Amino acid sequence: MSLALATRIARRELRGGIKGFRVFLACLALGIAAIAAVGTVRESINAGLEREGASILGGDVSIELTYRFIAAPERAWLDGLGAVSEIVDFRSMAVVTRGEDSERALTQVKGVDGAYPLYGVVGLAPDVPLEQALAGQGGVPGAVMDRVLKDRLGLGVGDVFRLGTQDFVVMATLTGEPDSGTGGFGLGPRTLVATSALENSGLLQPGTLFETEYRLRLAPDADLDALKAEVAERLEDTGYRWRDRRNGAPGVTRFVERLSAFLVLVGLAGLAVGGVGVASAVRAHLEGKTGVIATLKTLGAEGRLIFQIYLIQIAILSALGMVIGVILGAAAPLLFAPMIEARLPVPTAFAIYPKPLFEAALYGALTALLFTLWPLARTEQIRAAALYRDLGAATGTMPRPFYIAVLIAVMLALVAVAAGLSGLAWLTLYAALGLGAAFVALMGAAALVRALAKRGARSRAVRGHSALRLALGSVGGPGGEATSVVLSLGLGLTVLAAVGQIDANLRGAIARDLPDVAPSYFMVDIQTDQLEGFRARLDDDPGVSAVETAPMLRGVVSKINGRDATEVAPDHWVVRGDRGITYAAQPGEDTTVTAGEWWPVDYTGPPQVSFAADEAAEIGLSLGDTITVNILGREITAEITSFRAVDFSTAGIGFILTLNPAALAGAPHTHIATIYADEESEAAILRDLANAYPNITAIRVRDAIDRVTVILGGIAAAITYGALATLITGGVVLIGAAAAGERARTYEAAILKTLGASRATILGSFALRSAILGAAAGLVAIGAGGIAGWAVSRFVMDTDFVFEPVSALIIVIGGVVVTMLAGLAFAWRPLAARPARVLRGAE
Amino acid sequence: MADPILSLTDITLSLDGNAGRVDILKGISLTVARGETVGLVGPSGSGKSSLLMLMGGLDRATGGRVTVLGQDITDMDEDALARFRREHMGVVFQSFHLIPTMTALENVATPLELAGAPDAFERAEAELAAVGLGARTGHYPAQMSGGEQQRVALARAAAPRPAILLADEPTGNLDGATGEAIMDLLFGLRDRHGATLILVTHAPELAARCDRTIRLEDGRIAPEHRAAAE
Repeated sequence: MSLALATRIARRELRGGIKGFRVFLACLALGIAAIAAVGTVRESINAGLEREGASILGGDVSIELTYRFIAAPERAWLDGLGAVSEIVDFRSMAVVTRGEDSERALTQVKGVDGAYPLYGVVGLAPDVPLEQALAGQGGVPGAVMDRVLKDRLGLGVGDVFRLGTQDFVVMATLTGEPDSGTGGFGLGPRTLVATSALENSGLLQPGTLFETEYRLRLAPDADLDALKAEVAERLEDTGYRWRDRRNGAPGVTRFVERLSAFLVLVGLAGLAVGGVGVASAVRAHLEGKTGVIATLKTLGAEGRLIFQIYLIQIAILSALGMVIGVILGAAAPLLFAPMIEARLPVPTAFAIYPKPLFEAALYGALTALLFTLWPLARTEQIRAAALYRDLGAATGTMPRPFYIAVLIAVMLALVAVAAGLSGLAWLTLYAALGLGAAFVALMGAAALVRALAKRGARSRAVRGHSALRLALGSVGGPGGEATSVVLSLGLGLTVLAAVGQIDANLRGAIARDLPDVAPSYFMVDIQTDQLEGFRARLDDDPGVSAVETAPMLRGVVSKINGRDATEVAPDHWVVRGDRGITYAAQPGEDTTVTAGEWWPVDYTGPPQVSFAADEAAEIGLSLGDTITVNILGREITAEITSFRAVDFSTAGIGFILTLNPAALAGAPHTHIATIYADEESEAAILRDLANAYPNITAIRVRDAIDRVTVILGGIAAAITYGALATLITGGVVLIGAAAAGERARTYEAAILKTLGASRATILGSFALRSAILGAAAGLVAIGAGGIAGWAVSRFVMDTDFVFEPVSALIIVIGGVVVTMLAGLAFAWRPLAARPARVLRGAE
Repeated sequence: MADPILSLTDITLSLDGNAGRVDILKGISLTVARGETVGLVGPSGSGKSSLLMLMGGLDRATGGRVTVLGQDITDMDEDALARFRREHMGVVFQSFHLIPTMTALENVATPLELAGAPDAFERAEAELAAVGLGARTGHYPAQMSGGEQQRVALARAAAPRPAILLADEPTGNLDGATGEAIMDLLFGLRDRHGATLILVTHAPELAARCDRTIRLEDGRIAPEHRAAAE
C-alpha cells in the first residue's frame, strides 16, 4: 500500500522533468560507460583470441620443447595424428658484409618446414608463395624479413646476409605472421627461413638456446583433453609445454585480463568521483523539495513514505543513467573498433557482450545507492515546521542507524563485487582502502579549509580586502559548495596524480636504475670451447671494464617437494615456462648467501641447489625443501641448502637456481656473458666477436631497454586514458557544482552591487574562492596520489619510488585553473544580472 | 523645489515577459528635496517598488532621466552605479537580503569595506549596537529572526551614512509590533543622520509619518498627487 502510494506520488513529483538531474545522469552514465567500454574491449580480445586460437597458435595443438628436437618415435606418433609442422625459434645475429665493413643486428629467427603455416597465411611483399621465397635463388637459401630489420641493415630483395655461418638471400618483406601472438616478448624483429637451410649455420648445436614447436592440425571434433593426457604420458620427463586452440595465447590473455582489471579499478575511482556529483545532485534536489516534504508531512505522510517516494525517484533516474551508460559503453568500442584493432597486436571480435555491460550496470547501481542513501535517509528528519519557519533541509543530522548499517553493507558489497569480478582481490581491497582514505582526507581537508576560511574572513588582516574577505566568507560560511568541489575535484586529481606518479616512476625506473650499472651487451650461446678466446679478446681491451660469464642451461621447475610446481605456486613466474639455470663450485665474489651453507668446492654428493632468497620467500620455500628441475628431459631433484640475494634490476647475470657442478655434469650447455664497456668500444667488440664466433648472439642492452620502454609506455598510456575518464567525470561534477552555485552567486552579486561593489571586485572574489578550493583539492591530491603511487610502485610494480614533482605541480595548477574556469564560466550571468530583477525575484 | 536631491523626468519602464511586453511605469516625473521623507503608496503592481529600484540605479529605465545629487545616473554603467550607491545610497528590502554566508557583523561591514573605510568593522559593530544587536554580531542570518535580520539590514544600509535611504516595504515580512520597532529605528536613523528617506509601503500609518506621500496607480502617479510630486 505504502509503496504503491509512494510510487504514485513519486511519479507526480517527476512531472517537473529531470532538468536538475543532468549532472546526476552525466556522472553515473560516464562512470558506467567507462567500465562497460573497458569490459567490452576485454571480451572482444578474448573472443578474438578464441575465434582465431588455432591460427594464433599455428595449429590446433602446439607442443613446445626447449633446445631439442623431438625423438623419432614420438614424431612418428604425432604424424599419425594429423598434419604436423615443426618450427624452430631462436635469437641470432643477422650479418651483412659490404667489403671490409659488416653490419649486424639481433633477430628472432623462425625456421619452418614445408607444412608451415598450418593455419592462416604468411603476408609477403612482393606477394610470392612462401615456399618459393624460402627456396631462395642461385643456390642460396631464401629468407623473408621484418621491414624494420631489413631497413636497419639496408637490405633489399635479392641482397645476401648471414645467420651464423650460412648465407641467405632476402626474397621478400615479411608483412604478416599469422602466429605472431604466441612468441611472447621477442627481443628482435623476425626473420623467417627454412629449417633445413639452418643445418650448416652452426646455430643449432647441442646446448644452444632454441625452442622447437610441433603443431598439429586435427579434425574439428578431435578430443583435445584425451590427446593432452596421452601426450603427458608419452612425453613425460621431456619438459614439454602444451597449448591448444582453446587458449592460443595464454600470456596475452593473462596480460589483457590483468590490464583490464586494473583499468576497471581506475574506472571505479571514476565512478566514485561521479558518486560525489550524484550525491550533490540528490542533496540539492531534496533541499529544493523541503517545502514539498514539509507539506506532505503536514498532510500526514510518515518519514518512511517520504523516503520511499524519493528513493523511487532516484531509482528511476539511476536506471536511466545506467541505460545511457551501458549504451555508451557498448557503442564506443564498436565505434572505435577500427582504431583499437589497428593498435592491438592480437585479433579482436568486436560485438556487444552482455557480461561486461551487466558488470558495469551492477557497479553503477551499487555506486548510485551508496552515494544517494545518505541524503535520502535524511529526508525522514525534515519537519513539517519547515513550512512556516525557515528550518531548511535537514543538513548536519545523522540518518537512523538502520540506514548507516545498509550503507556499510552496500559499501562492502561494492568492494566484494569489484574484488570478485576483477580477480585482483588484494589490489581491489587496497584500492578501496586507498579511495576511502582519500575520501576521508578530502573531507578533512574541506572541513579544514572551511574552518580556516571562516577564521580568515574574521581576521583583522583581511579587513579592507573586500574580494578576499568575500571569498573566504563564502568558502567558510554555511552552505556553499566547498565540500563537494574539494571532494570531486580532489578525488579526480588524486587518481590522476597517482597515475602520474606511477607513470613517471615506471619510465624513471628504467632510465634511473639501469644506465649506471647496466652492461653494454648480453651474449648468449657461447660454446665452452669458445670461452677462452672470447675472454682473451675482452681482457685485452682497455674499453672493457668488466666481463662476467656463467654456464647456462635452461630447464623447467617441475616439482617442489615432490608435488607439481604449478600446484604449489600456481601464479609465480619462476614455475611458468623455462628458466636459466647455472652451476658453480663456490659463490661468486658479489654473491651474498642469506641463509644456509654453500656446498664444498669438490662436492659430489646428492644434488644441492642455492635458491634466490626473495623468490623463495614468495613461493614459501625453506632450507631442506627439494626442487626438481627438468633439463632436456632429465629430471634432477636437488635439496635447497642455501638462499642468495639476487638483484634482477641491474640487468647483470642473475639466476634463480644455482646447482653444484656435479649435479649437472655431462649436460650439454653453453655460456652467457655480460660485457661492461665504454660506448665507443661497443661496436668493435661486437664486430670482432661476431666475426670470430658467428654462432654467438649479442643482445645490446640499450636496445632491449628501449623495447621495454616502448611496451611500458603503451601500458602507461592505457592507464592514462582510464584516468582521463575519471577526470572528465570530475569535470562534470565540478561544472555541476558551479552551475548549482550560480543561483546563490547571482543573488550574492546582486546584493554586493546594491552595496556598491564593482564587477571587478565581485569577479575577483569568485575567482579567489575557486582558487582556494582548487588549491586545497590539488594539495590533498598530491599527498594522496603520491602515497597511492608509492604503494603501486613498491608493491605492485616492484620498483623504487621517487616523488615526481613536475606532474605533481601540474596537478595543483591544473586543479586551480579547472576550478577557476568552471567557476568563472558560471560567473557571467551573476555579473550581468540587474540587481533589482534578482532581488525582487527572490521576494 | 529648492535643492532637489533626486529628480525623475518622464520615467518609463517596460519589461518583456512570457506574456508579452508589460508597461510597468508610464511616464513618471518626481522631485525629492534634500532631507525629505517621502512615502510611495499604491496597490500591488502599481510600480512602487520598480520606481524605488530605478531611483537606486538597481534597474535601468526604458525612457526618461534619473538625476541624483545633481548627477544623471540614467546612462551610468553597472560599476559606476555600484560606486555611486556605495557613496550616496542605502537600500533596505522587504526580504532583508542579507548575505547568508556572512555573519551580521560582516554583512554590515561589507559596504564600509567596499567604500574603503579603514575602521569598517568598528563602525559596523557600533551600528549593530545602535539597532540593539550588539550581542548578535557573530550570528549568521539563518540563526536570526526576521525582525533581527531586518535590523541588520537597516544597520547595513545606514552604516556608510548615505545621503539617501531607500526602503522597499521594510516591514512587509514582519508582524505589527516588530514592524513598528523597525520603523522607529528607520526614522530614528534618518533623524540622526539627516538622510533623505524614500519609503515604499502599504501601511497608511507609516505613510502618514512621511513629510509627503505619493500614490501610484497603474504605473502612473495618481492625479491628485501629481502636483505634489513635482
